[in-house]
Amino acid sequence: MAIHMPILIRRCDAVIKMDLIWLSNYAISFLLILILNFVLPRMMPGDPLHAIYGEEALISMTPEMEAEIIKRFALDQPWHAQLITYITALLSGDLGYSYYYRTGVTDVILGFLPWTLLLTGLAFVISSSAGVILGIESGYRRGSKLDGCMLSGMMFLGGMPDFFIGIVLLLLFGVTLGWAPLGGAVSPYAGHEGIDLVLDIAHHLVLPLISLVLVQIAPTYLLTRNAMLNTLRARFIMTAKATGLGEGAIRYRHAGRNSLLPVVTAMGMRVPNMITGTLFLEIVFSYPGVGTLLNTALSARDYPLIQGVLLIVTVTVLTTNFLVDMTYVRLDPRVRYAR
Amino acid sequence: MLEISGLRARYGEHEVLRGIDLMLEKGDSLAVVGESGAGKTTLGLSIMRLAGARLEGNMVFDGMNLLELSDEEMRRLRGDRMAMVFQNVEDALDPVYTAEEQVCEAIAAHNKWSRERIRERARALLTAVGLDEMRYQLYPHQMSGGERQRVLIAMALANDPDLLILDEPTASLDALTKADIVELLRSATSDRISIIITHDISLASALSKRMAVLYSGMIMEMGRTADLIREPKHPYTRGLLRSFPSMNTTKDLQGIPGRTIPRIGGCPFHPRCTQRIEICAREVPRPEELNGRLIACHRGGIVPLLEIRDVCKFFSSFPAVSHVSLTLYEGETLALVGESGSGKTTLAKIIMGLIEPDSGEILLEGERARWDAGFYRRVQMIFQNPKESISHRLNVLQAVREPLDVQRIGSEEERVARAMKALESAELSTDPEFLRKYPHQLSGGEAQRVAIARALVMHPKLLIADEPTSALDPSVQAKILRLLMDLQERMGLSILFITHDIALARKVSDRIAVMLRGSIVEEGPSGEVLREPAHQYTASLVECASICTRMAWETHVLD
Ligand code: SF4
Repeated sequence: MAIHMPILIRRCDAVIKMDLIWLSNYAISFLLILILNFVLPRMMPGDPLHAIYGEEALISMTPEMEAEIIKRFALDQPWHAQLITYITALLSGDLGYSYYYRTGVTDVILGFLPWTLLLTGLAFVISSSAGVILGIESGYRRGSKLDGCMLSGMMFLGGMPDFFIGIVLLLLFGVTLGWAPLGGAVSPYAGHEGIDLVLDIAHHLVLPLISLVLVQIAPTYLLTRNAMLNTLRARFIMTAKATGLGEGAIRYRHAGRNSLLPVVTAMGMRVPNMITGTLFLEIVFSYPGVGTLLNTALSARDYPLIQGVLLIVTVTVLTTNFLVDMTYVRLDPRVRYAR
Repeated sequence: MLEISGLRARYGEHEVLRGIDLMLEKGDSLAVVGESGAGKTTLGLSIMRLAGARLEGNMVFDGMNLLELSDEEMRRLRGDRMAMVFQNVEDALDPVYTAEEQVCEAIAAHNKWSRERIRERARALLTAVGLDEMRYQLYPHQMSGGERQRVLIAMALANDPDLLILDEPTASLDALTKADIVELLRSATSDRISIIITHDISLASALSKRMAVLYSGMIMEMGRTADLIREPKHPYTRGLLRSFPSMNTTKDLQGIPGRTIPRIGGCPFHPRCTQRIEICAREVPRPEELNGRLIACHRGGIVPLLEIRDVCKFFSSFPAVSHVSLTLYEGETLALVGESGSGKTTLAKIIMGLIEPDSGEILLEGERARWDAGFYRRVQMIFQNPKESISHRLNVLQAVREPLDVQRIGSEEERVARAMKALESAELSTDPEFLRKYPHQLSGGEAQRVAIARALVMHPKLLIADEPTSALDPSVQAKILRLLMDLQERMGLSILFITHDIALARKVSDRIAVMLRGSIVEEGPSGEVLREPAHQYTASLVECASICTRMAWETHVLD
């Protein structure tokens, strides 16, 4: 007992230290993004008002609006005052003013964000779990017919660009067969309520969701299958078999569980890719999410809106990465105790 | 309880097990030893039906033919009635579960007990295998190799199996941990059938009563472990023992020539065997039982090369050699130890046919020695003083080829070629300048090597070496001895090594015979004779040798 104590204490110290380093990595990335957002427009030649808002926006502005904006962002103050104003504004959720929508950027984004979250969130959950399960089954049956079919199907899907699948599905089920709406997230002016509303939302969601899942499932599947092949070669699989465990336990509790580790790591890295995929698909399906919003903001050159969207996207990426890291730590005791 | 007959395992075209027969009863422990690639692990896995190979033959365990059971029936046996302890490699345990969880799982696989009861049993098992209670909740990467091995053992014992297979259970453990684990395994294996798969002879002897030597998927020799180690009868077993460092043997390590060649016909060992005969390459030897020892060899195991039967020689009523009987086997070194005047040189001369014995007989390869050309082709001798075997009028080349000239063997070119090869075997130079040297131009070591080359040129089976190194410097002596051992390893040369120095005999011989006043007073495996000398005289020789060593050591240190 007495012998073990110091070791435990030292280990705890190490854990805390590693955790701090790990957390500070996130903090640093976040700060960097903020600073970039703040510094870039102000470093551009000409006055920051022009840089932040762009020529076209200014032309349509009245002098009163201009003065209001300058005051609001403290643009006539020295840079540290500007920074303080910027940060306090951010903290109160103020991302600036969208001249295109003629309202606060935050409000605009909040109107679009839920649809994107719904779409990506669902697609992420479905594609990840289906990819993992199919990967486990396929890897376990390596060399079988089922494995062969799945593998070639997934390779085929994985090779296609995101929006292409979307367009094909839209043409086939939306235009030709007319089974699904051609765009939007709800039927306009239908006044659905309750269960009808849910069904209506689902009806609109189904095509973009399927497209996104189809695009995203292949990499998870391939990675899981590959990890399975490696894990099945590990000696503990033989130990498990010699223990007389059933197939299911070996496949999921041991091989599957261990194959999950690289897959989860890769999931975090796939989030940005997934978000860009969503942005494209939203445009294809004119789904009223952040992608469509960004598209609008870009074509209107609504710089504060563009910046706001990018900031939100980055924060989302960082948050998901953080969550993935947390999950990984829970999944792999080697990392949990090494930190 | 476990009866295996004609078991064959095939991976694709490659046959890894070629007909294994084993019978094991409760309480039996069998060690399966052999080099890697012999099929040891495949044998263990095949019994568990986990080898992933195509199996043929019969394996009857407790009345069930394992090869006829369904996968599900087999699964229910595994981990319950039969279990396997794997080598503690890094990933033998699942990295994401704790020690306790893994033991619990092994119990739960075969019992529908409550969580509490399973946990209780798991903890009892972990305590029984000697894992510290503080360590139950650790993950494999947090444990030492010894601790992981303990957990693996606990998992195998989870359901009190009747058959326990241990696959290299102490590999990669340090010596002290290994001793602990061996102790633990010793109690774990009693009262069951246990099969210990290992290349570690010391582990085999600690854990098993019987031992089977596997080579290329065939059992070459099987018998009581102690007997097999003390007196290997199959050439491969002897080679294996010679290459394994042990506290019980004293001879320097030797290897086995060549390496395993898979997929060859006949006796799988024949390319490496130094006593092979023509049939060995053609037919697979059947295992035959003799005095409780099973041997698969066309020649019935290591053959006796020279037999001395009850030889007596009197020099005017003084018995120089009295009733001496000795057997020298193919490829072994027998050291004949005794002081001067003990009759050892007389005995050597009798063997060589230089002195006629008064009674008794000498047999070479089972036939009475006739001391004709055929005899001297097979038996050669080297002396303490190389000048006794090399005439001072011959140069190196002439001296080495002289035996060929005398026996008129081969053409002129063949004789030169054989002489050159013999010189190379004796690690001598073959450049013309050296070949033209005369004995007086050679150093002592070189001259002895020339004598050896001259003996080798006949491709002898037996070399009688009478104090071959006592006239040489210690460093030269060491090199000559090493040379003789290498020749033995490569060509299966048998050596009768005559010396007065028991310390030297100990390092070069498989067996020692001690001679005193014309009689053999003691004979046995070198390690045994030195450790527990049975005769008073041997004991005093051993003691003198160790005192000399100690004195030499002390003077050295004090200097
Ligand atoms: S003598 Fe023949 S059968 Fe016996 S081990 Fe040698 S090669 Fe094999």
